[in-house]
Amino acid sequence: MKKLILTALLATLPAASAATLVFGNNGEPVSLESGNITDGISILVQRQIYDTLIDFKDGTTDLTPGLATSWTPNANSTAWTFKLRPNVKFHDGTPMNADAIVFNLRRWWDKADAYGFRDQGRTFEIVGDLLGGFKGDPTAVIKDIVKVDNMTVRVDLTKSSTVLPNVLAAGYFGIASPTAIKKDGAKYGTPASKAVGTGPFIFQSWTTGDRVTLSPNKSYWGVKAKVDGLVIRSIKDASQRLNEMKAGTIDFANDLTPDSLKSVQADKNLVAVKRPSFNVGFVSMNNNNQYLKNQKVRQAISMAINKKAIVEAFWNGLAVSNASFVPPVLAWANSSKVPADYKFDPAAAKKMLADAGYPNGFAIDLWYMPVSRPYFPNPKPIAEAMAADLSAIGIKVNLKTEDWAKYLQDRNATPGFDMYMIGWTGDYGDPDNFYGAYYGENGSSDISWNPPEIQKLLEQGRAAATQAAKAKIYSQLQELTYDAAYRVPIAHSQPLAAARSYVKGWIPSPLGSEAFNTIDISGKK
Amino acid sequence: MGSYLIRRILRTVLVMLGISVVVFVFVRSIPGDPAVAMLGERATPAAAAALREQLGLNKPWFFNPANPMDAQYPKYIGALLQGDLGSGLKSNIPVVNELKTRFPATAELSVAALLFALVVGMPAGILAALRRNSAWDNLATGISLVGVSMPVFWLGLLLSYFFAVKLGWLPPSARLGYEFTIQPITGFYLIDSVLRGNAGAFWDALKHLILPAIALGSIPLAIISRITRSSLLDVLGQDYVRTARAKGLAPNSVTIKHALRNALLPVVTVIGLQAGALLGGAVLTETIFSWPGIGSWVYEAIAQRDYPIIQGGVIFAALVVSVVNLLVDLSYAALDPRIQYG
Repeated sequence: MKKLILTALLATLPAASAATLVFGNNGEPVSLESGNITDGISILVQRQIYDTLIDFKDGTTDLTPGLATSWTPNANSTAWTFKLRPNVKFHDGTPMNADAIVFNLRRWWDKADAYGFRDQGRTFEIVGDLLGGFKGDPTAVIKDIVKVDNMTVRVDLTKSSTVLPNVLAAGYFGIASPTAIKKDGAKYGTPASKAVGTGPFIFQSWTTGDRVTLSPNKSYWGVKAKVDGLVIRSIKDASQRLNEMKAGTIDFANDLTPDSLKSVQADKNLVAVKRPSFNVGFVSMNNNNQYLKNQKVRQAISMAINKKAIVEAFWNGLAVSNASFVPPVLAWANSSKVPADYKFDPAAAKKMLADAGYPNGFAIDLWYMPVSRPYFPNPKPIAEAMAADLSAIGIKVNLKTEDWAKYLQDRNATPGFDMYMIGWTGDYGDPDNFYGAYYGENGSSDISWNPPEIQKLLEQGRAAATQAAKAKIYSQLQELTYDAAYRVPIAHSQPLAAARSYVKGWIPSPLGSEAFNTIDISGKK
Repeated sequence: MGSYLIRRILRTVLVMLGISVVVFVFVRSIPGDPAVAMLGERATPAAAAALREQLGLNKPWFFNPANPMDAQYPKYIGALLQGDLGSGLKSNIPVVNELKTRFPATAELSVAALLFALVVGMPAGILAALRRNSAWDNLATGISLVGVSMPVFWLGLLLSYFFAVKLGWLPPSARLGYEFTIQPITGFYLIDSVLRGNAGAFWDALKHLILPAIALGSIPLAIISRITRSSLLDVLGQDYVRTARAKGLAPNSVTIKHALRNALLPVVTVIGLQAGALLGGAVLTETIFSWPGIGSWVYEAIAQRDYPIIQGGVIFAALVVSVVNLLVDLSYAALDPRIQYG
């Protein structure tokens, strides 16, 4: 009997149902209510349930029709008209039409909207961030949202913007069923309710801290899912995600550490998947610091850091070192007149420092992040390597760090950090999303340098009608910021993912989340 | 006894109120505010200020001269007295709902860990005491030394790698395989699967419980085995044990009936203390094993400065520790007739 129990106990796991796809997510979703969340973990789950008005072509940041089949600006791009896809239904059977779109957009944008549930803690802060504010705010981009006819919606703007379609394509803005939101009220998006979209998968259940279970949407308008079910598990620890994949208890996972690449490659059951890079990790220098005020000092520092060696040492080859402020996908926005970054040249750096009046160098603080981010998976050793490079030209670096929430707050305080590490992962494929986050009126105030010409260029970039026109403007912006050298781009990383070898057709998006309807696991035993 | 209980319960209520004030002030004194933590890299001063206002965090803590009830603590305590601990700042999930699903997960893991620690640790301690300075004693000492000094997350990852990845015997993490669902009754998967008559789910839940329970139980195991050993050695040297032996009683009977019962008192104390420590240890174990319990949840909330979750979690944990301590005190009386409460 004892033996029997032991055998039963230790028997290998029951063979998984062949057609259930299991994903190891790097944590628990915060909410399944679209428009009200910014974390990648939640967006990845939402992406399966909801469609956006406009989508991104698989594996790129190029726009492609979503729930809208076309989007057309007026002459000066101050109004955009969206034609909706006919015969699309929400998972609850209600029709997707102009009323539904207006309902979604309004609850995000209008602080007085009855279904925004702001009195119950909803903030929709991403709308404020990407669209300049909410209804009535002086900087708000959206002026009004209008139903033109049953299948046409127009968004009127306060100023020219060619970025709007890109913003609305970002994973934050999944379109939800108005009926479901009205029914569940302020509970909508929590585990106690049912998230209802038009997407390739239908929400079934959410066990907090554990998993979200979805089923395929058999009447999906796009590519129908090739699996019987989708389970998205919350596995916070990166080593454990790898363990689970090796053990075969999950099929694929995101966000592995760069140093696990070898372990993935050594396992014949696994395939390493590199997500296309769409981020930048950089070092910012503060104009409030007496030394960093000096342009020559900043340029010397830019030249003294051996970015190539750092990328090789700490990213395991999973990053691009010749980094400008925008990732490679947006390279069209770079200038041909200046290089992407300063060439590593310690001798020239030392001379530049002497020219600046500091032949013997000086001491300075460098703050490194206490957390790992895709753009800096390993901040402390990277900071140590940079400190070593800087000490070679005579700059003594004091390494400092503090809790992440405090770090984020203190960097924007006055006088702020001397030098600090930070980065950005993009939301959509427009250079404005990178430059605008760190320069201009909505940018960070971390370096106390924000000249009016930059503000002007950013405005022009947002209004430019063609990519060629944008390229011209952002080239100027790059030349300006390159010369000023307040920010040293270190790397564009390729976040590491992996899958069991039978997982076919997974096309990771540079933006960090994609729908899993293209995935085929028919080879799973 | 009855009046003792009532006094203890009243005292617990007062302690809870005190804790609510302390934790309320404490979480708000941690530098770095929730709006900034939520916005992450997007936290420009303007965006953070706007979000802070939307979340009501710009209101005074205790007293608003313009509108006395429009301050954070009076609102919080008012809701708390009605059993409402608020909702997660970002998720909008009521803290009470989360506690309901997550506490059973943590409790099941802690009980399993404690059982593992007792079942292995007490016999090891007894054996070590009875065969003092033997190989058994050295082995038990060695194991408890390793148990205390090995970090829980490291042990957890090792266990997971060895038993799940290399041997394939047990699942690497989670509480239940995705093939199974258990409709909750008590929230304890082992109990619920039996009540629902779902044998497959029972075995699966049990298999998922083994590794995290061992990881979490390693430290209490080491402590319990050491305390049992020293306490038993102490008692075995007492006059009354020698007398019992001299009377010709069987050695086993002396050990079990006379010595062990008396030696258990400090062990029970340690178990009570460990119950609190288990909640702390659960943070790492739950994170490593993707265990959907309270530990990993509150830990996340601290990083996010999610005030309602931290407050709710701490108050609840304090309540659990108070109840466990009360039970420990009551069990003293059961074990030692000389101890009386009145």
